[in-house]
Amino acid sequence: MAEIKGFLETSFVDWPGKICSVLFLPHCNFRCPYCHNHPLVFSPEQYSSISLKDILNRIQPFKDWIDGVCLTGGEPTLHRDLPFLIEEIRRNGFMVKLDTNGSNPEMLEKLIEARLVDFVSMDVKAPLDPFSYRRSAGLPIDLNSILRSIDILKRGMVEYEFRMTVVPALHRKEDISTLANQLRSGRRLVLQNFNPENPLDPSFKEIPPYDPKVLKEMEREVQGMI
Amino acid sequence: MSALIEMKVEEARPTGVRQGLTEEIETTDMALFVRTSDEAMNDWDRQRIVDALIRETYVDLDTAKEIAREVEDLIATSKIRMITAPLIRELVDTKLVERGLEQARKMHTRLGMPLYDVDQLILHPNKENANVPHGPEATNLTLAERIKKEYALLSVFSQEIADAHMRGDLHLHDLGFVDRPYCSGQSLEYIKRFGLSLPNSIAMAKPAKHPEVLLAHMVKFAAALQSHFAGAIGWDSVNLFFAPYLVGMSDRELEQLAQMMIFEFSQQAVARGGQAIFTDLNLYWEVPKHFEDVPAIGPKGEFTGKTYSEYMEESQRFAWALFNVYLEGDGSGRPFFFPKPLVHITEKFFQTPGHADFLDHICEVASEKGNTYFVFDRGETAKISECCRLSFKLEQTDLEDARQPWKMRYCALQNVTLNLPRIAYLSKGDDTQLFSKITEFVEMAVRAHLEKKLFIEKLLSLGEKGPLALLAMDRDGSPYLRMHRATFLIGMVGLNELVQIHTGQEMHQSRQAFKFGLKVIAHMKLLTEKFGQRYGMRFVLEQTPAESTAYRFAKLDLRYHSPKSGHIVKGDISRGEVYYTNSTYLNNSAVLNPIERVRQEGLFHPLIEGGALTHIWLGEARPSKSSLANFVIKTFRQSQNDQIAFSPEFTTCNLCNRTSRGLRTSCAYCGSKDVDGITRITGYFTKISSWNKGKIGELRNRYRNDAFLEQREEGIVLKAG
Amino acid sequence: MGSIKIFVKAKCPKCPAVKEIGMELKKEGIPVFHYDLDTIEGLAEASYYSVLSTPSIIIEDDEEREVISWRGVVPSLQEVKQVLFGANS
Ligand code: SF4
Ligand SMILES: [Zn+2]
Repeated sequence: MAEIKGFLETSFVDWPGKICSVLFLPHCNFRCPYCHNHPLVFSPEQYSSISLKDILNRIQPFKDWIDGVCLTGGEPTLHRDLPFLIEEIRRNGFMVKLDTNGSNPEMLEKLIEARLVDFVSMDVKAPLDPFSYRRSAGLPIDLNSILRSIDILKRGMVEYEFRMTVVPALHRKEDISTLANQLRSGRRLVLQNFNPENPLDPSFKEIPPYDPKVLKEMEREVQGMI
Repeated sequence: MSALIEMKVEEARPTGVRQGLTEEIETTDMALFVRTSDEAMNDWDRQRIVDALIRETYVDLDTAKEIAREVEDLIATSKIRMITAPLIRELVDTKLVERGLEQARKMHTRLGMPLYDVDQLILHPNKENANVPHGPEATNLTLAERIKKEYALLSVFSQEIADAHMRGDLHLHDLGFVDRPYCSGQSLEYIKRFGLSLPNSIAMAKPAKHPEVLLAHMVKFAAALQSHFAGAIGWDSVNLFFAPYLVGMSDRELEQLAQMMIFEFSQQAVARGGQAIFTDLNLYWEVPKHFEDVPAIGPKGEFTGKTYSEYMEESQRFAWALFNVYLEGDGSGRPFFFPKPLVHITEKFFQTPGHADFLDHICEVASEKGNTYFVFDRGETAKISECCRLSFKLEQTDLEDARQPWKMRYCALQNVTLNLPRIAYLSKGDDTQLFSKITEFVEMAVRAHLEKKLFIEKLLSLGEKGPLALLAMDRDGSPYLRMHRATFLIGMVGLNELVQIHTGQEMHQSRQAFKFGLKVIAHMKLLTEKFGQRYGMRFVLEQTPAESTAYRFAKLDLRYHSPKSGHIVKGDISRGEVYYTNSTYLNNSAVLNPIERVRQEGLFHPLIEGGALTHIWLGEARPSKSSLANFVIKTFRQSQNDQIAFSPEFTTCNLCNRTSRGLRTSCAYCGSKDVDGITRITGYFTKISSWNKGKIGELRNRYRNDAFLEQREEGIVLKAG
Repeated sequence: MGSIKIFVKAKCPKCPAVKEIGMELKKEGIPVFHYDLDTIEGLAEASYYSVLSTPSIIIEDDEEREVISWRGVVPSLQEVKQVLFGANS
């Protein structure tokens, strides 16, 4: 089964409106220069694995409080047996949220059709053109997969949001509105501030993030676009 | 207060007695000037010594004359040209000691401070109470406090209680304010109905006609109360009681009023000794059950002819506006430190339309700025919160008072905190010893309360001519301070360490250890009931806001119970940053998720009637407001927890004036190193640079539920959300 | 089946009825523990189980996990037995 390399018992941050546990799965097919989970993602052997059974035993006593489990990483859909992992979690009575970069539309569709996930949060990295995406994801990306994932979510079979981490060096204001225009998802696009602590590309440490007020303003603007 | 200073009061009490017969020598024309405290230089006059001894002590005239002569002799032979009154007094005191006149010496004591200490005080900030800014006013306050504290320990409390305080068995809070009660809860209805007519003030203000005037009265009255109480001033149902004045106001006007209220109460340096008024605003979304049918008082102090249930809309809009202001923060986006908003969550809250949106709103403030306190009133109880975490459950008589809400004024007369780890050191692992020692300590606290009560009653008996005129004033058939409703608080520090010393495990480490902690508090609770019956007084347990007490006890135990205490105190001994875990809390650094903390700590809360609180340290994480709302609802439904607050951490930049999340060593925006960290100390937000060492140690250890912790052995990784 | 915890107070009008149930069950060999909220042990245990009113009964499994509880109310002996021995007793 997919190895779990990190476990946070409770989070008020990862699933809007819910109290959830967070499981971190290793490996990723992107190389975003601002990735701040990178040790866990790219050198997971440093960390010992945690068994799902231990995790479920640990959170069972908090079942009245914890609504669900958020699967994040890394890129969880890289693990082919992800559906089994999710089924096991669901059997224990927890809802499941998936974080993905949208590079595996087949897996995404499969999970949604089997009603295995209750919420999907898809990270969108930049305006939907090969050049911008490559710059933000750190690698050439097959944009078709990304576009297909967006389509699958927009069918509305599952609750979802698009999440964009805004980095001043990579994203100008126009880029955000371009992306918003392409997504046309209104309030389902949320902006996240970049965290300069320990990024994959050390030069990103020096980049000051946007003022939260400014970012909020931008978010309000793009959410208002139809 | 720091032990360092207190130790100076603890003077050696020499026991050697030497009775000497002195010959009479005539030296009437000694060429000597005496500097007195009246800013005058007097010629030497031996008679002054005699007069003072006769006036202040019980020694007879002959002894007094004899002592005066001996002192004169001493001074003459020493050939001093200029002498100060304090020195003469000390010389006289040595003569009293020589004669074994211990009681007389005490009565003749001079209270004061060494030059060096005053120098330090004027030049350096006060670290004992982070609420006091550094400045001339603050120094005045501290100087006055020092003298009153010495006075309290010599003259208000018996020697046994004073010694227990000096040793650190217990802590008598706010000794520098010994001539005032501790904290109080107010009703706006009092000033709405009677206007602002303070004793000894020339101008009387009639009941307010306009909301701004009512606010001005509230602020003035709060300032007046602050100079009569040592601690917090709490206001009940603020939004509801303002409501009759707010009819027809636009959202903009309401927001301006809200802004004025928060600005007025957040201003430092306008009040006593430059201390902000420690203000709590109790707020309700619903019209509290006990006020539903109560006739409302409106402009000019007149009854409006309606009941409060008819003012729900204005009341709700005002509450909403207040939180808009909190959400904005001050000019540079920092949270307002005061006044603290306490929102009461009740069964009725959930039946009141719009509650879900309001809950989201106040949770957004909790997430962004941390101001919101969530107070849970389950079942039929109604509560008024006053101090940091001090609340009172309204009893039957109070609910009758609620018909005439101006009567709802409460006070806690004093707060005494027990050093629980000390009890465990002394009991050496023996259960019977431990429980009987607890009884002994609680009994001491009760004695301290009796002594304080006697003293305050003496001051109050001087009525409107006495020092506590404001509290003695009678506008509605009973004095402002209603002694029969007073509460006497017994707090505790370091339950966790008591359990650790006694059982070898901290409370979060095993079920057994935790249950033992409950037994200790259950014992204390039963004792307060027993003593309450015996003396006809209300003793209640309280979670002490032990800002400096946890530090003081740890330091004293390092001195008296070493080496054992060296393994027990928390923090970093080499840095001097030591502390005990506050009250009944679980170890701050224990890896417990917020659910466990709220649930486990909440099990103590029903035993702690004086009010209790669980902190959830958010650190850098900026949670979803609806997730916090979810957590608040579950806390109400699924735990016994009395009160929770979410505490974020901030860094504010002194160069670019911007505020960012988390505690950083440099500004996230401009990189400047000139930054201040801000987070909640025990009960309120402050700059960390003003904290005492014990608190800084605790901050380092706080477990924030957001750390990227790597525990490779166990394979658990926790990550920032 | 684990054990039964009974929480009572000296001056509590409905408590005798619950004590009665406790006695009955004890006769049938079930471990029954009594806690008096006026004692330290009793009050501490009650706090641990969030028992705020008397009388209360808590049934636990072998791992001291709560199976069912009656707080501030008196169940019938039948009801309690039902839980302990299953529906067909
Ligand atoms: S998608 Fe980018 S940010 Fe997310 S885990 Fe992969 S590399 Fe890191
Ligand atoms: Zn700056």
